[in-house]
Amino acid sequence: MTHRERVYACIHPETYKYYLPRNLVLSTWKRLERQYGAAVTTPGFGVVEIRTPAFLLRSTRMLNPITVIRRRACSSEGLASLHQLLHFDEQAYPAHDSP
Amino acid sequence: MSAAQPSPSFDPTEVRARFALDYIHDRHRRLIAGEEVIVHCHHYNSRIQRTVEGAAGIDGKTIFRSAARNSFVRHIAAGFQDGDPESTRWAVAQELFAELGYGTLDLSDPSSDTVRQTAGHFVEGWGAAFNDEAKPVCTLAEGYIEAAYMAVRGESVEVRETECMHCGASSCGFSVRRGAEAWSPPAISERIEAVSTEADAELAESNIDENAIINAVVGLPIRGGDDGLIPAFGVYLANTPADFYNQVAIEFVEAMTECGQREIASRLLSEAGESCAMNTFRGIMDSAEWEGLVKPMLQNPEDTIFALVALSNAFGWGNWRITEHEPGETLEIVSFNGYEALGFLETRGRASEPQCWMLQGVSAGMMALVYGEGSFSERFGTYLADEHDCIAKGNSVCAFAVEES
Repeated sequence: MTHRERVYACIHPETYKYYLPRNLVLSTWKRLERQYGAAVTTPGFGVVEIRTPAFLLRSTRMLNPITVIRRRACSSEGLASLHQLLHFDEQAYPAHDSP
Repeated sequence: MSAAQPSPSFDPTEVRARFALDYIHDRHRRLIAGEEVIVHCHHYNSRIQRTVEGAAGIDGKTIFRSAARNSFVRHIAAGFQDGDPESTRWAVAQELFAELGYGTLDLSDPSSDTVRQTAGHFVEGWGAAFNDEAKPVCTLAEGYIEAAYMAVRGESVEVRETECMHCGASSCGFSVRRGAEAWSPPAISERIEAVSTEADAELAESNIDENAIINAVVGLPIRGGDDGLIPAFGVYLANTPADFYNQVAIEFVEAMTECGQREIASRLLSEAGESCAMNTFRGIMDSAEWEGLVKPMLQNPEDTIFALVALSNAFGWGNWRITEHEPGETLEIVSFNGYEALGFLETRGRASEPQCWMLQGVSAGMMALVYGEGSFSERFGTYLADEHDCIAKGNSVCAFAVEES
């Protein structure tokens, strides 16, 4: 099961790195791309990123963990949907989960 | 739609191409449309605004607005090309705002009495840091819109924000009042370049490949996306004219000096820099960019300081070099061309005191971030920086000494 750790980001205080089970990394990115659009790799830093109005989904080339930065358009429903794609169980890690 | 309005068929890509970044590697300068810009994040920008506008006894909002007006009127005009119809010039003004990372401003109907903004860099900054203060926060946009009317039409207007997303509005609204007191774009100061590129002291060495970091940052598209915002390194970045920051800081200190508050003014500006270092750099150090490129270079804690300095150089803060560093104890940094010192020289001439408030605060903040312990508030002020030499005073470089307080 995916777990997460809180990290600091000025954009949103509720920012976490989601650690995926190794066997689910590639399939999860495929699910994310299907839902939110293609990932883009920035030159130089090699950051793999999907941008949506609600989230920034970011990782290194290793694709794991995925940092999820919430944006202004983030809603509870959108967050729940994202958590499903990430195989993340909110009940297991309930702290600080308001969007 | 009148002929004066941005053409509905204007090509944003063509207009944006006028603002391609020109990075001067040997001086670590970032130019957009020929204007020097500095990369700072929403945290620093909103904090410096709050510092200036929140000071008692002075009109900080006017200082902030007029600095925006004066610096952007030239910047917007620099994006015009011979033969541009007025509609294209409005498109340039609109797209430059987004390109620089300030958000989405709708200038499609300049004959209207209202301009709207649907995303804002300062809205995000205040929302993240000062959510308890519900007041309109888009002062820079007010000045920018006034500058746009002057650059496009040569018209003096007064712009005030009447609704703000920071206060819960769905978009920000600005009133445009015609017949405002006439103003003219300020004369361009003669530009002063660095007087030296060599430090008296030997430069310290590290395991950091500064060129790799700088090239990676320069290669990043630090330009507004669909919403005119620039999310990178876990923060929202913006490209802001150096002239803007300089006018804000200089006029703030001058106004506070008239109130007998000079020391407080300089300390507040320095604290904004210190806070910037701790918040922005902490966000950067938790970012995927850091993880992907910088972290593999780190072999000891002091390398982190060198990496942060490399990033600072890529952001255009000044050609910084570390000359001495005792991990956890002391840091000596020189800057060959800090924008604060050069800006003061250009507009006020020789100074009697050092002028690099931001760099002074940042140098202390970096030490507190890397070597300090506890929460931010516990680390704040644990290191003190002294700018003992400053180009604005006539020294060949700006030099900062940091030690534990």
